[in-house]
Amino acid sequence: MNIRLPARTGGQYAALGLLVVAVAALSVGFQDFRTSGNIENLLVQATPLLIVAIGQTLVVLTNGLDLSVGAMISLTTAIIAVTGSPLAGVALSLGAAVVLGVVNGVGVARFKVHPIIMTLATATLLQGVVLVILPTPGGAVAVGLVHAANGELLGIPLAILWSGLALLVGALLLHKSRFGLHLYSIGGGADNAKLAGVHVTRTLIASYVVCALFAALAGVFMAGRISSGDPWVGASYGLDSIAAVAVGGTQLIGGIGGLLGTACGALLLGLIGNGLNLMQVDPFFLPVVNGSLLLLAVCLRRRKELGL
Amino acid sequence: MSVLVQGTGLCKAYEGVQSLADVSIAGRAGSIHAVTGENGAGKSTLMKIIAGVIRPSAGQVTLRGKAVDFSSPLDALKAGISTVFQEFSLVSNLTVAETMFLAHEPRKGLFLDRPEMERRAALALAEVGLDVHPRRAVSSLTVAEQQSVEIAKGLMAEADIFIFDEPTAALNTNEVARLERILLSLRDQGKCIFYISHRMPEIFELCDTATVLKDGRLVGTYPTAELDADRLLSLMVGREVEALYPPRADVTGENLMTVTGMHLGKNRKVKNFALGRGEIVALAGLEGQGQREIIRTLAGLEPDGSATVRIDGAGSSCVFRPSGGSARSLRHGIAFMPEDRKSEGLYLGLSVQDNLTLGVHQKQPMYGIARGFPSLVKKLAERLRIRTASVRTTVLSLSGGNQQKVMLGRWLAVEASVLLIEEPTRGVDVGAKAEIYNVLREFCAKGGAVLFCSRELPEVIGLADRVLVVSDGQIVADRPAEGLSEESILQAAMNRSPDSQPVITEPV
Repeated sequence: MNIRLPARTGGQYAALGLLVVAVAALSVGFQDFRTSGNIENLLVQATPLLIVAIGQTLVVLTNGLDLSVGAMISLTTAIIAVTGSPLAGVALSLGAAVVLGVVNGVGVARFKVHPIIMTLATATLLQGVVLVILPTPGGAVAVGLVHAANGELLGIPLAILWSGLALLVGALLLHKSRFGLHLYSIGGGADNAKLAGVHVTRTLIASYVVCALFAALAGVFMAGRISSGDPWVGASYGLDSIAAVAVGGTQLIGGIGGLLGTACGALLLGLIGNGLNLMQVDPFFLPVVNGSLLLLAVCLRRRKELGL
Repeated sequence: MSVLVQGTGLCKAYEGVQSLADVSIAGRAGSIHAVTGENGAGKSTLMKIIAGVIRPSAGQVTLRGKAVDFSSPLDALKAGISTVFQEFSLVSNLTVAETMFLAHEPRKGLFLDRPEMERRAALALAEVGLDVHPRRAVSSLTVAEQQSVEIAKGLMAEADIFIFDEPTAALNTNEVARLERILLSLRDQGKCIFYISHRMPEIFELCDTATVLKDGRLVGTYPTAELDADRLLSLMVGREVEALYPPRADVTGENLMTVTGMHLGKNRKVKNFALGRGEIVALAGLEGQGQREIIRTLAGLEPDGSATVRIDGAGSSCVFRPSGGSARSLRHGIAFMPEDRKSEGLYLGLSVQDNLTLGVHQKQPMYGIARGFPSLVKKLAERLRIRTASVRTTVLSLSGGNQQKVMLGRWLAVEASVLLIEEPTRGVDVGAKAEIYNVLREFCAKGGAVLFCSRELPEVIGLADRVLVVSDGQIVADRPAEGLSEESILQAAMNRSPDSQPVITEPV
């Protein structure tokens, strides 16, 4: 019986199917949806969420989660706006991300603090730091960065390039490197992974560092997008990124799922806002729909379902 | 034969309990070395130290004369020690190839070389004769297939020393034969093989040397040519096997519990039976013939079962129908010990003390203050000889035998009059078995009664006073256990013709 079973796919294809159905339905139902302007807009808007969610996926696959990514995004925009130099700003932000990731990772992996508590604590702490650096939105962002986030190349928004590159890096890490395989093995069974010789603590710390680095990258993009710093701009991304990962069919208990699903999840969440807008539904209704979708995505799957 | 690996004076303590004390062992090239002992004797601990899974608290491992201190199994593997763990050490969400190469994956530049990984995995799987694709998910394999993958993974290593931890428990005869051929060929190549097993035939067919452990201590290392099965067994147990069962009760007086009108569901009527005061009665028969249902009906846990139970206590008697959970039966002094103590019987995360007093607490008012009952706990722990560092230790860290004693102690504490027991000694080592049997006898001598079912016929015959043979939900025979043979039980269990009915002695 040699069935080639793609292991640990999880609900990723369901998420892809849902995305296709949603796009098809909106295309048929609304002429406005089909305009290239709208679709481009959708992709651009989904970019920061997609970038954060890639990092979040790596952490979720180890049966962890990272709530501090939102504060990390805000911190990055604040640093870039305050320093004024994109190079120094980006370098400082990436440095800060490494520190945040190491703190989160050491807390979770070495001192066995629950990921929710650990990253909620660092998120709260970091938010305070952001408010000290930049109490109110403002500051200046270099023109180059603004162009890099808002510009177009051959008629294609550069934002899509950001998403594409982030996805490529994430996919190489997760599906082609030893690091990625070790993340899956920790999610599948940390004790057995350790028995096989995986450096569980080290790998977990690295996963939180990589997650924070992706958050910083999303922050750099955001700074360019809004061409200023904003201490609260990232606030919703902690939970939203986890929602995108879960809607994308990755199991929150770890080990099962991947980036295809996460990309679909992030786009689906963006699409809902867009669709409701086209249907002229009260925007306050959006969280209700997002929450329902998350619940549906999680409920439709049996927990611990492996393999399929 | 030169010594490849040597452990000297190895000790290991977990939470204050010494699980290995001053054990030395030497593995020679071209030898298959059996490591045996009862459950909890320290075999796995000893092998885990050599395999680099755990570090000894004292003692030294030397490899080819050089002292080593492994920090992980991967370290040991790189030094040439390959370990085949039991089947549950694979990572279930990975593919077969991935789990075989986990942590030492072949790479091409920065990235994984999956084709190479799968090619080498396929070769190793073919070696053990397992026909599964390297890209199959581990979670989709049967237990036997997982065990074979584990073996293939261990054999794939370039190692001089192989450790096999009960590799045959999940395998069928063909697979065992194949593994034996592989082991013999490794031996002939001059490898050193440590082989943990309970199975006597394997030890004598394969192994040239046997190291026997007992209670974490070295009993001795012997050439298997100088041993036979009986001698090895008595070395493992450290006492004569016949002394395992305490003497039977002399007189069985009046009935303590009388069961009438029992049904295990529609049209499944069970004959009336009774337990005498001071009597131990076994329900025996082929697997799954209704023994468990009878016990669970009496405990009030079988939704389709019903019965009328009469308890004749000292001076008073009462009649009730067990149903809707164990509370009602318990109120009438009937306590139930399930087979699966880990999920049904004990609170693994709670301490020995809390597990022991739980039954007592159940009798207290809901909002009463939960006292610790330290003197009761101390008395029970001594009476049952529960081996634990402290009564505050969680039962999770106890051996199977000690867990079973804790479960038993809970019902001794509430002074139940009847114990219903599924598999009294499953996963319990021989020493603790004898202690549990003694406690059950003492319990009966004080006026209680025990009804148990067991898959082990020697236990049925050795422990019980009377055996009720169950077949297809019916009690088909009722015999005194004294002088009963395993064959006669099986015969009674399989012959259900009406002619064989007269052997039933109708109680009441």
